[in-house]
Amino acid sequence: MTPRGVAAVGYGTTPYYKRGTSPHAERKLLLMAIDDAAAMAGIDPADIDGFVSYGADQQDGPRLTGPLGTRELRWSSLVWGGGGGGSAGAIAQAEAAILSGQAETVVVYRATAESTSGRLSSAVIQGVFGVQYRAHGIDAPAQALGLRTQRLLEADGVPASALKAVAQASYHHAGRTPHAVGRDVRLTDEAYDDARLIAEPVRLFDSSRENDAAAAIIFTSAERARDLTSTPVHLLGSAYGALGPRWGELDENHEPYAASSQAAPAHRVWKRTGLTAADVDVVQLYVNFTGPPVSALIDLGFCTADTAGEVLTFENLIAPSGSLPINTSGGDLAEGFLHGMGNAVEAVRQLRGESYNPVPDARVCLVAGGPISELSSVALFSTEPPA
Amino acid sequence: MTNERDEVHPFEGRVDSPYWDGLGAGELRIQRCQRCERWSWPADWRCPACGGYEFRWERVEPVGRVYSWIRSHLPFVAAYADLVPYVNVLVELPQAGNARIMGLLTGDEDGIRIGAPLTGEFRPASPRTADLPVLTWSIDARAAA
Ligand SMILES: [Zn+2]
Repeated sequence: MTPRGVAAVGYGTTPYYKRGTSPHAERKLLLMAIDDAAAMAGIDPADIDGFVSYGADQQDGPRLTGPLGTRELRWSSLVWGGGGGGSAGAIAQAEAAILSGQAETVVVYRATAESTSGRLSSAVIQGVFGVQYRAHGIDAPAQALGLRTQRLLEADGVPASALKAVAQASYHHAGRTPHAVGRDVRLTDEAYDDARLIAEPVRLFDSSRENDAAAAIIFTSAERARDLTSTPVHLLGSAYGALGPRWGELDENHEPYAASSQAAPAHRVWKRTGLTAADVDVVQLYVNFTGPPVSALIDLGFCTADTAGEVLTFENLIAPSGSLPINTSGGDLAEGFLHGMGNAVEAVRQLRGESYNPVPDARVCLVAGGPISELSSVALFSTEPPA
Repeated sequence: MTNERDEVHPFEGRVDSPYWDGLGAGELRIQRCQRCERWSWPADWRCPACGGYEFRWERVEPVGRVYSWIRSHLPFVAAYADLVPYVNVLVELPQAGNARIMGLLTGDEDGIRIGAPLTGEFRPASPRTADLPVLTWSIDARAAA
């Protein structure tokens, strides 16, 4: 029987350790996260037959089959290119594997421990920026994203208050999330405004910091999910890519320059599901820095550059009262940064009713893998199967 | 963003090698399609407009305008640590199909804003610049006035 839908049946995460301080090796972290996800799903880890990650993750499927005792490996893939932009793209690959019948039980995951793999951002950005950047003193995502954010603010007219609201909403949610790395930070206006500049216009609290951690989500067919759990989280649709002809690795020559590259996958997901931004109850955004999620919300249709200032306020962005709650675990900024994997976990957690910042009656949650990279991705989850 | 796939050995094998040769000779050269005249930047092997593989390198004036800018407060590149905080500009070249190239801003930073006119200055290769000749940029106060 060909599956007609895909659902998440379990997730697992390790603690978010300060970078370089994981007590466990990277693969061990990942195996423990997969074990937790399998336990929640009520399945034997050996029955996982598909493995998907993104952004140059080093833990490929065949490396995991030994310690997991995998009975049959049927799918192993990596989203090629785009770094964290592939975070929801990995979900799209799992969906493709399951709907096509290639695999039945697919784990989507991300793992990083600096002691094992070196700083994973180095892997994500393939070590270094090219000499067209480095010869001029540019060799960090904060700088490239700073250039794009400056343009968003100064040329597109997005007010800096929108960036601050994203940061404050993230830390607010982290404050109620026991495992969040930023749970003790009270990000007042003064604390945000007075924080040191990293790469102007990017300030300290606009910037994520990588953690050592692993996270995994197990997907299977919606039909099988119903037998496994009373709270399957249905994948309504997912997509990844970019809209040409001016997207790619273009050394800051891409167009539109300050866009998140969410427009292409978003368009496909909206078309496929028949939904729009107005149908979404809660959003988990990719926040490597606070500029990209604002671009993503514009590309996804939640606001425009002109309305960003009035829509993206702290009050609107927080659960339970806001109209557009984002990053309800604290997200990449304040829960912990695992190149976006935590966002998909929080989407599943939220729709299972397990978030520490529950959104009342939340039925639809969007996950955006949109860090303004050459490729980005969208996944749309629901408590209900597709209509 | 470029990455280590951008690293080609020997350096002369890079698709943008003539760009660096030009800077060494005191000329700003931008790639242009031989067949359809499209400005091609960043340099590449194939023209997406006409499918051509034949390019020439055309000399353009080292002037432009600020497309975007940042001021770095951390020593992201060790060789630039003594300049922190320093301003980088993403320079738009209207005379080359609005190609955008990166550079360091020198001199007065007061007029830094998107659209500000810039004049480039050729600098020889140095350890700071990854042993490559570069253009640095200053705000053209007369044009800005
Ligand atoms: Zn051509």
